[in-house]
Amino acid sequence: MPQARPGRQVQLAATEHGWAGRFEAMGSPCEVLTDGGNKREVHAVVSSVAEEAWRIEDKFSRYLDGNIIHRINTANGQAVEVDAETAGLIDFAVTLFDLSGGRFDITSGVLRGAWTFDGSDNIPDQASIDALMQRIGWQHATWHESHLTLLPGMEVDLGGIGKEYAVDRCARVAQEGAGFASMVNFGGDLAVTGPPGNRRAWKIGIEGPTPEAAERLVDLRQGALATSGDARRYLERDGVRYSHILDPTTGWPVPDAPSSITVAADTCTQAGMLSTLAMLHGRDAEPFLADQGVLYWCRP
Amino acid sequence: MKAFTRKHERSVSATLAAATCALLGTTAVTPVDAQEEPEWDFNTSLLYYGEDEGRVQDASFKSIIRRLYTDDRTLSLGFTVDALTGATPSGAIRQDGPQSFTRPSGSSSYTEPAGELPLDDTFRDTRVAITAGWQQPAGEKGLLSVGASVSKEYDYLHTGVNASYAHDFNNRNTTVSAGFAFANDSIEPVGGAPIPFTNMLDVDDTSNRVGDQDKDVLDLVFGVSQVVSKNLLIQANYSLSQSDGYLNNPYKVLSLVDGVTGDTLPRTPGPNGGPSGQYLFESRPDERTQHSLYTQAKYYMNGKVLDASYRYMTDDWEIDSHTLDVRYRIPIGDASYLEPHIRYYTQSEAEFYRLSLDGSSPLPQYASSDYRLGNFDGITAGLKYGWKTRNDNDMSLRVEWYQQSGTVPVVQLIGNQAARDNYPDLNALIVQFSYRFSR
Amino acid sequence: MLRIVAIFLVLTCTGCTSMGVQPWEREILAKEEMQLTVDPLEAATDDHIYFSKEASSGGRGFGGGGCGCN
Repeated sequence: MPQARPGRQVQLAATEHGWAGRFEAMGSPCEVLTDGGNKREVHAVVSSVAEEAWRIEDKFSRYLDGNIIHRINTANGQAVEVDAETAGLIDFAVTLFDLSGGRFDITSGVLRGAWTFDGSDNIPDQASIDALMQRIGWQHATWHESHLTLLPGMEVDLGGIGKEYAVDRCARVAQEGAGFASMVNFGGDLAVTGPPGNRRAWKIGIEGPTPEAAERLVDLRQGALATSGDARRYLERDGVRYSHILDPTTGWPVPDAPSSITVAADTCTQAGMLSTLAMLHGRDAEPFLADQGVLYWCRP
Repeated sequence: MKAFTRKHERSVSATLAAATCALLGTTAVTPVDAQEEPEWDFNTSLLYYGEDEGRVQDASFKSIIRRLYTDDRTLSLGFTVDALTGATPSGAIRQDGPQSFTRPSGSSSYTEPAGELPLDDTFRDTRVAITAGWQQPAGEKGLLSVGASVSKEYDYLHTGVNASYAHDFNNRNTTVSAGFAFANDSIEPVGGAPIPFTNMLDVDDTSNRVGDQDKDVLDLVFGVSQVVSKNLLIQANYSLSQSDGYLNNPYKVLSLVDGVTGDTLPRTPGPNGGPSGQYLFESRPDERTQHSLYTQAKYYMNGKVLDASYRYMTDDWEIDSHTLDVRYRIPIGDASYLEPHIRYYTQSEAEFYRLSLDGSSPLPQYASSDYRLGNFDGITAGLKYGWKTRNDNDMSLRVEWYQQSGTVPVVQLIGNQAARDNYPDLNALIVQFSYRFSR
Repeated sequence: MLRIVAIFLVLTCTGCTSMGVQPWEREILAKEEMQLTVDPLEAATDDHIYFSKEASSGGRGFGGGGCGCN
């Protein structure tokens, strides 16, 4: 059972088309919107979804002592055996490391120690970046037969995969046995279990290309949306804007990256990874996405 | 900011898809179905309509522009321009000898060779029509539409308003709708509206003409559409149309004929030109009530769509008609389609339809020889080809052939008329190219 | 005539309450080619052509207005 905590409650409210179940998880406001359904059934489904979200959060959070991430990060050079679910996520991270030429790296989280993207001009000095770069690099890790060994000082952070993975797992929970369609939305990363009955599609608003531009509407009947980037998190000095997507091979933000990218794909995991990989392409983000044949929105 | 799909190399996508399946423990995933709602929708077409034997030809440009707002609200503006040329039957019958007529303007005359169907070729005109409409949801299950329309030709002005409301029931499986349209049209015939049943006069004689006329038309429509199954949708509408006012065609005449031979009673034209026979301007009732029942079914069979509809119309002019329209859309690949189309139409003549007027009998209360009020069958056969361009826009081209063939009731044939081909059968070619895109 | 129409509409409606599909079965019905009027421009063009050449009009609905062609 996930840890009970203050703030771990599920609230249900009626909406124009069905119900909205809301709770907090993984640092985001989470909601499950349903198309119809009776209150008792919806409450049961939303509770199951929240429990799955909290389970994943507790298991892979880097803030909780005693979970698998904590054990890996405090192993100090020792091999750690991981369970099947964690192994699956690590295997997935390895695929992304290869697909991105090393720029998607789950050991790069320590760079947050140098960079704080608060809109100021606080660019860290190269020395502090160099110090952290000593502790980064999946190529230095040993991953073999469910055993992970990191060099001392290295840490893994599954934050780049975890939320989208949770959305997909929760969408499966919301779909099984439910007599209604629903949309699982964790702070903008979302997936639907199927088309709603009373309308043609789920309507999702996404930000326009510039802050002043109008919101665009997306009709989603099947699949998922995920967004990488955040137009509000950046640093700016001497007229140069630094986005918050860091390149682990340099320790610096990816130059000329779009401020945010939204992608539509079959699953939230795919949508999230495609938008992240696109961000890592910097100024080539749009050509990369166009080549992949997916529906996307790039905000420069 | 761009959002479009292309089918190019997908190596990263494919690897990612496989890795995701492994991660989530699934074997197959339903493909994503996402579309950005467009803000604008442009639908434009060029039409050519051409009848044979020197009759009506029409070139038309038509465009409907829609601005789509959030919450399913839509503003639409339509614009149509028609350029018409060619001749139309005047309503007079063929004769063994040549005939001459005064043009509707009254300022000149024209002749028709022996044995030819009299055609009035002053039918050159440009027509402009504009429509505007607004649609918005009303509550969770309703849809409200309002609109207005205006059209102008040199002798005709139409103004109208319309409104309708549709409501969903049964999980959107049933939709009930009701609507009305009201139009006021004013007719300013060239030369002035002729007094019905008066003779066609010589050139420069407009003594039987009066001023502008108008008519009102009220339409009411009630409809139900129903989802029958995953593949089948049906619709049924009942409409009522009530017209009041000037319903005559001011340019059409009937030949006044001899009661035995059936030949047009002769007349000596004036010095500046005029009719060579006695032709009376037509006279229709000043009221018409039409009822229509329309049903349609759309049936999906493995990618192909069958669209079939039937309409029955009856009115107090004693016209009954049946229309059967069938389209069959066949997809070709995933970016184009072929759609054969066939339409069958049949109508019975109006109570006051006459091929000609018997000069030796009293005049009926109303009479018109307009072939459009007669007894005829119409068949349309066509083929449409549609495709999606590289930018995901829609284009289509359709070519159709429309043929009308009619018969005059035998009792109306007098003397020599029985040996002639009296009904102005029609053969027309329809070609339309359409282009539609959203942004 | 009106009596026949009223009976027709009532029969259609009462038969409707039990017919239909579940929300998740609407995939085919949502396709563009399954809408009752797929091409409004072609429909308006045809309505105008047949209004000009025949004595019947509309049936599907209305809109667009008259002309001096009949």
